[in-house]
Amino acid sequence: MGTFELLLHGFGVALQPTNLMWALVGSVLGTAIGILPGIGPALTIALLLPVTTALAPTSAFIMFAGILYGAMYGGSTTSILLNTPGEAGSMMTALEGNKMARAGRGAAALATAAIGSFVAGTIATLCLTFAAPAVAELAFYFKPTDYFAITALAFCSVAVVMGTSRTRGFISLFLGIAIGVIGIDSMTGQARLTFGNMQLLRGIALTVVLVSLFAVGEILYVASRYRSTPGVMAPIKGQLWMTRQDFARSWKPWLRGTAIGFPMGALPGSGSEIPTMLSYTLERKLTKYPEEFGKGAIEGVAGPEAANNAAAAGILVPLLTLGLPTSATAAVLLAAFQNYGLQPGPFLFTSNPALIWGLIASLYVGNVMLLVLNLPLVGIWVQLLRIPRPQLYAGILVFAMIGVWGLAGSWVDLTIMLVVGLAGYIMRVYDFPIAPVLIGLILGPMAETQLRTALAAGQGNPMVLVSTPLSAILITLAVLLLALPILLKRLRATA
Amino acid sequence: MSTDERNTTGGSPTAASTTPKPYWIGLGLMVMGAVWLYNAFGLPQGARYAAVGPGLFVTVAGGALLVLGALLMVQIWRGETFEAQDAEDADGATKMDKRAFLTALVAVALPIVTMGPLGMPFTATLSFVLVANAFGSRRWYLDLVYGAVLASGSWFLFNQLGLQLGRFFPPLGV
Repeated sequence: MGTFELLLHGFGVALQPTNLMWALVGSVLGTAIGILPGIGPALTIALLLPVTTALAPTSAFIMFAGILYGAMYGGSTTSILLNTPGEAGSMMTALEGNKMARAGRGAAALATAAIGSFVAGTIATLCLTFAAPAVAELAFYFKPTDYFAITALAFCSVAVVMGTSRTRGFISLFLGIAIGVIGIDSMTGQARLTFGNMQLLRGIALTVVLVSLFAVGEILYVASRYRSTPGVMAPIKGQLWMTRQDFARSWKPWLRGTAIGFPMGALPGSGSEIPTMLSYTLERKLTKYPEEFGKGAIEGVAGPEAANNAAAAGILVPLLTLGLPTSATAAVLLAAFQNYGLQPGPFLFTSNPALIWGLIASLYVGNVMLLVLNLPLVGIWVQLLRIPRPQLYAGILVFAMIGVWGLAGSWVDLTIMLVVGLAGYIMRVYDFPIAPVLIGLILGPMAETQLRTALAAGQGNPMVLVSTPLSAILITLAVLLLALPILLKRLRATA
Repeated sequence: MSTDERNTTGGSPTAASTTPKPYWIGLGLMVMGAVWLYNAFGLPQGARYAAVGPGLFVTVAGGALLVLGALLMVQIWRGETFEAQDAEDADGATKMDKRAFLTALVAVALPIVTMGPLGMPFTATLSFVLVANAFGSRRWYLDLVYGAVLASGSWFLFNQLGLQLGRFFPPLGV
């Protein structure tokens, strides 16, 4: 069956009334949490993971995809109207978007963000539709050696790219890997680092770590440095929508943003910050109106918003084809797959095409829903910002508690929540990146299994790790990623 | 926040001088690394059928934390600065509000003790009031009502969805 035919089948799944409803639920939730502070897509999906026991996998993933895309739409609204980016990827949007809003062009900024998100989301989903099966086809030939090399490269790039220094990036990563080895070793049944505690035998769940780092850490941190002066919301009532000139200035940044965002999203470590930053810089260089940049240039909203959404689609390529998460949200999605006993990768495309293609088709559907939800209804969404902060953060803790307690009803998990939450607080105060912890936690056991399988097949010879062309290239890249900055520094010092 | 503001806060002398040298983070990491390494020595490093046993990754993780902790301490000694991150409702440059932090911390620690014996709705309500208080809400009786409604509502909803949240209020056996 060709890709097109499979996609049509996917639409058959995605357009079923129940799945349409879940896509709507996801889109609404996603937009809401994109607007609200203190809660992002990774945390929301993690808190909803328990729902997977009651929902069919297709419906659950359709809802999660709506959350992933919706958060990108919602984040731009607060950036533009309030100058408070809800997600890291919306930081660049705030630069020009809020200036536009203050100059009375808020409606146009919101429109170019929403339409740009739609254009980018749709094109990127199209790329995903055709790229994913091709990569999956390739991945059939990957050996454990190759998978180990991929995870090794992912580790290095995540640790190097995220955060302020490589040391801090690697500390975060190895904290995650260290937490990941706790529990029963899957290959030998040995108990590791359980300190005689029966509950630790099953390991520490990703949900507990994620909820503690993102929700509890954030609550403790914001409480300790709370800035209670509310932002001033720029009015948008009765404003002129996008003009013909706005469209003329927006469509190229949309396309360029997509071209940057999609491949960058597929790379580990870049998240949504780097593609949006790149897109912003590029638009600033290419614009015919350089004098407007910094004062509210529409290109500076259109480009980053498109890049942002395209990157969200990009993370799905390595996730679906290789089972490789490249961001915190992707790590939670992988955990959701594992909850269902599914392992994303090439085999999922053949064993469960209804799920994969239903999910991809739902992305097209979700994008249309989100455009409708966000463009005319934006006035309703901003009302969410009226929720007073004390009760909002208190509510987030209640949900965090339910997420952790609902896993196993164990006080051990609640204790871990306190300890890891404190760690999350410390990491915010001393500026350690948080996402590498989650990548290390979820990719660590994967890397370990692949490494041990590869070494067993190679009878213990470490050279087996670079025995295939792909693994040799990837390991070299990983080493270069580590060594190059140091070498360049040395060279510059001697020159 | 505008770009220029961002630039001035980065690496300004005041920010550097207000941050004391946090050697304890490096030390903490080294202790954690040592615990992992110690545990790894009790595990077989090699297995008969696989060249690497269950101990290898524990050794790697412990060793890495030990080395990175030491490295961090060297960097701190050389004058590495740490700046608190900016969050949506938080300003990294402001001083820590100890009372608010500790109140929120109690709210997070409370469930360890009360979740089992007193149930989730009761615990969540109490934590709700505490966090709201940490964020400056002074009308605790209103928060008590909000918290109770949210906690009981989510208890019913998530129970319907198949989550095991325990009894509503165990002391009364309901």
